[in-house]
Amino acid sequence: MKKTSVLSIAIALSMSASAQAAEELRLLTWGGYAPQNVIDLFEKETGIEVKVTNSNNEEMISKLRATRGSGFDLAQPSQDRVLGAQKDHKIYKPLDLSKIDRAQFIPSMLSATEGQSTLKGEVYAVPHVWGSSGLVVNRADAADIKDYTDLCNAAYEGKVSYRLKRPTLIGFAYAMGEDPFAAYSDEDKYQQIMDKVGQKLMDCKDNVKTYWSGGDALLNLMRSGETVAAMAWDAGGWKLNQENADITFVAPASGALGWIDTFVLPRKTKNEEAAYKWINFVMQPDIAAMITDSAGNFTASKGSDEYVDATLKSQYQASFSAADIDNIKWYPPVPAGLEKIEGKILDRVNAY
Amino acid sequence: MGIIFLSDDIMQTPPIDLACENICKHFAQFTAVNDVSFTIPKGSFFSILGPSGCGKTTLLRMLAGFESPSTGDIKIKQTSVLNVPPNKRPVNMVFQHLALFPTMDVAQNVGYGLRRQGVAKAEIAERVAAVLQRVGLPDSGKKQVSQLSGGQRQRIALARCLVLNPTLLLLDEPLGALDLKLREQMKIELKQLQKEFGTTFVYITHDQSEALVMSDQIAVMNHGKFEQVGTPHELYYEPKTAFVASFVGDSNRWSGRVTQQTGETLQVTTKDGLTLQGVAQGGTFDDASEVDIFVRPEAIHVSRLVPQIRLDNQLECTVNNILFDGAKSQIIAIEEKSGGRIMVAMPQTADFKDLKITDTLYLTFSTEQALCFSHSQELDDVDH
Amino acid sequence: MSTISRSRSPIKLGMWLLLAPLCLWLLLLIILPHLELLTYSLSAPDEGGFTFEFYGEFFGESLYWRTFLRTAVMSILATILTLLIGFPVAFFIAKMIKGRSKGILFAMCLIPFWVSELVRTFGWMILLRESGVISTALQWLGFIDSGVELLYTDATIMLGLVYSAMLFMVVPLVSTLDSLDDSYIEAGYDLGGNNWNILREIVIPHAMPGIVSGCIIVFMLSLGNYLTPVLLGGKDSLWFTEQIYTQFITRFNWEQGSAFGILLLILSSLIVWLGLKVTGQSFTKTMG
Repeated sequence: MKKTSVLSIAIALSMSASAQAAEELRLLTWGGYAPQNVIDLFEKETGIEVKVTNSNNEEMISKLRATRGSGFDLAQPSQDRVLGAQKDHKIYKPLDLSKIDRAQFIPSMLSATEGQSTLKGEVYAVPHVWGSSGLVVNRADAADIKDYTDLCNAAYEGKVSYRLKRPTLIGFAYAMGEDPFAAYSDEDKYQQIMDKVGQKLMDCKDNVKTYWSGGDALLNLMRSGETVAAMAWDAGGWKLNQENADITFVAPASGALGWIDTFVLPRKTKNEEAAYKWINFVMQPDIAAMITDSAGNFTASKGSDEYVDATLKSQYQASFSAADIDNIKWYPPVPAGLEKIEGKILDRVNAY
Repeated sequence: MGIIFLSDDIMQTPPIDLACENICKHFAQFTAVNDVSFTIPKGSFFSILGPSGCGKTTLLRMLAGFESPSTGDIKIKQTSVLNVPPNKRPVNMVFQHLALFPTMDVAQNVGYGLRRQGVAKAEIAERVAAVLQRVGLPDSGKKQVSQLSGGQRQRIALARCLVLNPTLLLLDEPLGALDLKLREQMKIELKQLQKEFGTTFVYITHDQSEALVMSDQIAVMNHGKFEQVGTPHELYYEPKTAFVASFVGDSNRWSGRVTQQTGETLQVTTKDGLTLQGVAQGGTFDDASEVDIFVRPEAIHVSRLVPQIRLDNQLECTVNNILFDGAKSQIIAIEEKSGGRIMVAMPQTADFKDLKITDTLYLTFSTEQALCFSHSQELDDVDH
Repeated sequence: MSTISRSRSPIKLGMWLLLAPLCLWLLLLIILPHLELLTYSLSAPDEGGFTFEFYGEFFGESLYWRTFLRTAVMSILATILTLLIGFPVAFFIAKMIKGRSKGILFAMCLIPFWVSELVRTFGWMILLRESGVISTALQWLGFIDSGVELLYTDATIMLGLVYSAMLFMVVPLVSTLDSLDDSYIEAGYDLGGNNWNILREIVIPHAMPGIVSGCIIVFMLSLGNYLTPVLLGGKDSLWFTEQIYTQFITRFNWEQGSAFGILLLILSSLIVWLGLKVTGQSFTKTMG
């Protein structure tokens, strides 16, 4: 894909408002990862203006692909989406690790992320926020939902929700006794697993109220009682828990799916220095805690736990036993080609 | 005022096609038609002549059924049609802009009404062809309306109605949109077609010439009332009101006061100081009552020399302007003493060939040619 | 634009200057992106070169062409429904009322369009969801015992489509019906017509250009709609634009997405062309 792409330019123009101010950081991130109070503190300290664009993994990659890595100075895709996207589309730039204050990171997480985002000896990502997806359950109505496949119990017809995205496929695969991550390297095996999961999801369709797509939509479904259980992120479950004690995040029996959102440099970043400043700024324990409060998820910042709101800590402990934490399935980098298999399955489930 | 045309001679009168009895139409703000009664005998060409806003269109729409009268009754062939909707009345209308359906060709337009009556296809084709033949446009059936000339459209609009053999054909100033030459021609054609088909026509217009040329009977309408109903000849020569006298044909008008009365003959001193003699119309007058005197331009005798014969009224004038229009040329003269303008028909004799502006003229007319009506404020307003 | 330098006379120059924005717009935002889409859809991503693979995928995988078929049928249905509802509305606005109330009524048709499509769609969701206004009201009135889900059905999609397209049907209809002189309708009655055949033979033929242009706009809007089917249709939405979005954004499969885009363009043009043929209208007549 090296030809001059007018389409890319058109998409880029429509998707990102390019700004030309002298000192600014254009941040492509997730909702809640750059709260206003943190931005204000950062601006006060560095004088750099932060422009935030909220997005998700797929959109981040699509945008960067459309602009061939320009339009943003810092992006935050999940760890498993760094290497594949880099191999396919060359949208990132290697990090200069000397400019990052590594002491602020939890060492095990830092080395894990660096290990999974190294291509040809260059490191592309460092960890920022981590969390898991599992089940959000209204215990008053659906106490017996312990695993993803329990969502398909006949008792909950029209009462559950999940996304038509890859985490759902992976979660169901684990709940059905498969090990999809182990099959990443074996395309045929992976296809088999996905076919099986696809069939299960088709059979389960009557149970689904709607496939949710935005976090707020899911919160509303659970809040209004229209659904009693859903596959969702832990932070959403804890947020609902504060409003309604019956609803909370449950780590599924087959294991929650762990993800880490990272910092990466888009290939044509214009303000690399500001990007490093931002990384070092938000990884300070007290700032990281502010982000945890806003996003609902913990960060890879060492020692930020003690600044985090006590409620969130207790919710976290209630949802995850030590065994549950050990049982978290961390997403490995997605090899090329798998997404096509998954896409086809998801299309079929959607059309069923 | 109920005017019953020829009702005193039942034996010779054709049957009455339309009778309107005391029709009124009130709208929220004003009264459009005020107590109008008239009858139209079968086969006649009846015109309603009046200025715009006089209520003639409202009256016509009531006949067609698009409006219903506030009070009064409309009878077609002795039967009241008040409760008959427009699509069931034996009445058809030629609209002001003809309203030929642009999405249909000529034959479809003409056949529209027949199709509504459920006439068989073959018969429709036959009758459409026949009526097109009669209006002089055979073979135009396949043409689009937009391909026709103005005059041809008129005839198609007529044919579309006449093919249904209506008892009454209503025409809403259909010639208004045509240019002058074509209008003159269509007047004659319309009259001709009316005679051939023998259908009763009710024609409304503000153009007195159209009404005079074509009609058997004319009703002059003003402010929702009929001022006078009569033959064109009667209206022209024996107008019953000042409005009719001024509206039908051209007239010179003077306003003044009665100074002397001898029987029907009045002596009037006009506002600009002339003394004229005329015949009282529409009743008697008190001394000093205000009157309007009307004299037709063509009733005034014009001479360049002091006339030998003295008529009752004689005015010495200078030529102010000559409006040359062939046989219809007119002279505008200024009366020397009063400064008033008088319009006279230019005599088509050799004497006047070299008439110039500022030449002196002697205008004379008899008492009988000067018609006196009680003064109409409305006419003053129109003049200004 | 080299054409400017070639034209000598100032009049021509002026004309080109006037045309320039249109040409630029057409070239940059319509023609070039579509050429780009076409190129993408025909190129093999890995080995390079030319391939029909992505078009084959559309016809080979029943899921895709069935989604398209469903989208097209639903859009046609939405168009017909919009016409059936919009025509009386337009007739009422154009012919039955006069003066100020006409403007007010027309403005009322416009009001929903003062907010974005997203807001309008969320409005419907608030009304129709199981815990929404209508369901709650019905429960309160005692018609139903437990909440009813009015969202996430084809009927809901249809409702949303008709609602969001209504204005685009009413506007061209009002303007063509406005141009129909009342005397044509009166002439129809006068010649013995009744309501039904005046509508059929006089009003509809006259309004045909408006009907056709309204239908084309509504059909295209429905076919290209994304938010309404996805949000109101929920798990059963299955809209073709959703497929294109998915291919581009979540699958990173630009080639497939481009092929779908081109196919949508061709197939929808084909449907419009067929529609014009069937109703005996021509595109130029409709738009002129």
